[in-house]
Amino acid sequence: MSKALRCFASLIVISAVATACSADSESNEQSDRVVRVFGVYRGAEAEGFRRVLARFTEETGIATSYVGTAAFAQRIRERVRDGDPPDVALFPQPAILVEMARAGVLTPLEGQLGATVRDGYSPDVAELATVDGTLYGAWFRLSLKSLVWYPPQVFADHGYQIPATWDELLLLTTQMRLDGFTPWCLGMEAFDATGWVGTDWIENIVLRLHGPEVYDQWTAGEIPFTDPRIHQAFTLFGEIALSPGQVAGGTRSILTVPAFRAIDPMFDNPPGCLLTRQASSQVAELPSGISIGQAGDVDVFVLPPIHDEEAPLLAAGEVAAAFSTSDEALALVSYLADPRSGEPWARLGGYNSPHKDFDITTHGNQFEVQLAELVEQANVVRFDGSDLMAVTVGTGTFWQGMIDYVAGLDLDSVLINIQRGYGPLPPER
Amino acid sequence: MSRSTHESATGSEPTIEPSTESVHRRGADVVSAGSPRDSSDGARSRVRRLSAVGPLLGNLFHKTWDDDERTRILGELFFEGPEWRPFLSRFVVLTVLSTTLAAFGLIANSAAVVIGAMLIAPLMTPILATAASLVHGQIDRLAVSLLVLAGGTLLAVAAGWAVSWLTGATLTAEELTPELLSRATPSLLDLGVAIAAGLAAGYILTNSQAGSSLPGVAIAVALVPPLGTAGISLELGATAEAEGALLLFATNLVVIILSAMIVMLASGFVPNDIRIMVRGRVNLGLFAATLGVIGVSIPLTSYTLDVFADQHFTREVISHVREWDPSGRIVELSADIGDSRATVEIVMASSQEPVPAWRLAELLAAESELPVDVSVQYRIESRDEATAD
Repeated sequence: MSKALRCFASLIVISAVATACSADSESNEQSDRVVRVFGVYRGAEAEGFRRVLARFTEETGIATSYVGTAAFAQRIRERVRDGDPPDVALFPQPAILVEMARAGVLTPLEGQLGATVRDGYSPDVAELATVDGTLYGAWFRLSLKSLVWYPPQVFADHGYQIPATWDELLLLTTQMRLDGFTPWCLGMEAFDATGWVGTDWIENIVLRLHGPEVYDQWTAGEIPFTDPRIHQAFTLFGEIALSPGQVAGGTRSILTVPAFRAIDPMFDNPPGCLLTRQASSQVAELPSGISIGQAGDVDVFVLPPIHDEEAPLLAAGEVAAAFSTSDEALALVSYLADPRSGEPWARLGGYNSPHKDFDITTHGNQFEVQLAELVEQANVVRFDGSDLMAVTVGTGTFWQGMIDYVAGLDLDSVLINIQRGYGPLPPER
Repeated sequence: MSRSTHESATGSEPTIEPSTESVHRRGADVVSAGSPRDSSDGARSRVRRLSAVGPLLGNLFHKTWDDDERTRILGELFFEGPEWRPFLSRFVVLTVLSTTLAAFGLIANSAAVVIGAMLIAPLMTPILATAASLVHGQIDRLAVSLLVLAGGTLLAVAAGWAVSWLTGATLTAEELTPELLSRATPSLLDLGVAIAAGLAAGYILTNSQAGSSLPGVAIAVALVPPLGTAGISLELGATAEAEGALLLFATNLVVIILSAMIVMLASGFVPNDIRIMVRGRVNLGLFAATLGVIGVSIPLTSYTLDVFADQHFTREVISHVREWDPSGRIVELSADIGDSRATVEIVMASSQEPVPAWRLAELLAAESELPVDVSVQYRIESRDEATAD
């Protein structure tokens, strides 16, 4: 599409926004205002997102300023509480979007604007940004959380095969230990969000152990954490995280190693570990000079299934929603719903699109094309459970519970404490 | 950048009286210096033109050279004669020992140990030999001197690497000692130090009465500590620090060579007739050494400007931190500003609730007009007093 055509399209979007938000009569007077954006992207990810915002400004003439924080869940609540919400926020947890929408501080995407945004996604994706029948957000980025990162050259040298089942994965790690390697790298430190790496593990295991229906009931709060099925999932995770010799640096290091730095020992000589399960966004945080792919330093496979033949996928992402009712803020949300919006970041690497019509040839590397194909081919894709759960649990007791579990608290106590995030437990009979 | 110590090699040079025969054989032009050819008026006038710096420094060198003294000095610089093997052995042993000592001192952050290493380092010998070869236009001696210099450099870096490897996890690339960091971030100040030290080294070499000043030059001229730093940094994977340390060594190297050449030419150390004969080669040598100095000045200027920019940014950060968290106290602060982004790491102490880092990032980004990455760590500060009877 030519630049002129893009500008024209953007103008149409802005016009639609202006029509939809007729109540905001002062919008024309605010055309020079800067849209303040708040999100979770920092470092290399922030660089990718800044490119997206730069093109938005180039195409619409609307200026933006972006601030990213490691403790989004806490900080966004503080800002709303203090009466200083951003104009637009990119929520990594839809549950917080639901909380804010129900509190009445988010701007609904209604009328033509809502229809335009909704058209950009498959119905189930749009539904994840819909609260009580009203659309509030536009999904902007997708990341996969079922990936296991490994060094292909070391695998080739030792004859290791990609495991097709959970049992094969356990056999592989046993063989690695016999060969003198420590199988896993695992780090959970993430400032005020420490624990999310552990919740991703549990969600992946629940989805594999018990299937999508149980997973959906569990994330909806219908199956408690104290249920034996969830207990079983924690136990499987514990066999990896808590067993001696399984994790580089030992179990004690898990809570102090930053989530995206855990992979670093894999590139030591000899490697400090040969496997780490981490989200696709790890790609932006790889040490400099590390290449991805079969012929590169690191590649990925999907965490294998436990009972089924095909591995389900766990996904997450960020959804943009406006606190402000200004035309400029809504224009940005609408822009981020456009499949083309992520292209500058996709060229840089580290971006996968949740939009249904995203052109995968835009990706700057084969790795992200591979991820897009994985999503397209998967039969079972589920959203990150902790991001969907009630915020008191998903970004509260569940994160804390993972810290407690790794720190050595007994599992029954851990599960009871997590479940208390939903409210007082019923008295035992 | 602050550096409290620098290093020299001349204090421990092997003192060998060279074989006169070998000097005659390998450098007949040198031995014949001070001969009746010096009395040629034409030659004298050409020499004046050749050495523009001569008149400026001439008053410093009221000295009459004789062949024996020239031979003695040159004999101390070149690995020649029947004793070249023990001469080389001592050079290798002292290079390894001095760098090993320096590396331990750098890792232990002990300035005293590093100074001790400087005093026994022998690297000044091949450097001054290179300068002497250049002013005499002797290609074969230049090649040997450069070879010895290169070998000594590699040996020193390897010794630093080995000490770092042997000491294991004492250090990490992110937590280098101040002694190491001071060698990894050279600036134009180091160029000034190297010029003064190089002139002093050349002066002492050509004035035996000034020999008691050698330890001072040894401490001023840093050769072995930057090479040790480079070896340690490479072993730790701190490539930027290794590059900085090697730049500091290169600065000292080329500046000492150029300074020593100037002093040797100005002092009359090179016989006039030889200066005339090899004028082209000497000019080429001076040109090459000058180019080298210009070459190191470019990154040094860049480093220095970076330091100034960081210092200015640090002052801005301190000012904004006071606005951002008036009740907090800065315990540690690291601020770095580049062309496309800035990074700030702060450790704060406060008895109040921590203030979100994003607000500081927003303030700094507005001020610097660059993306700013901020990392804040808070330490709870509480004070309690009590008394009882």
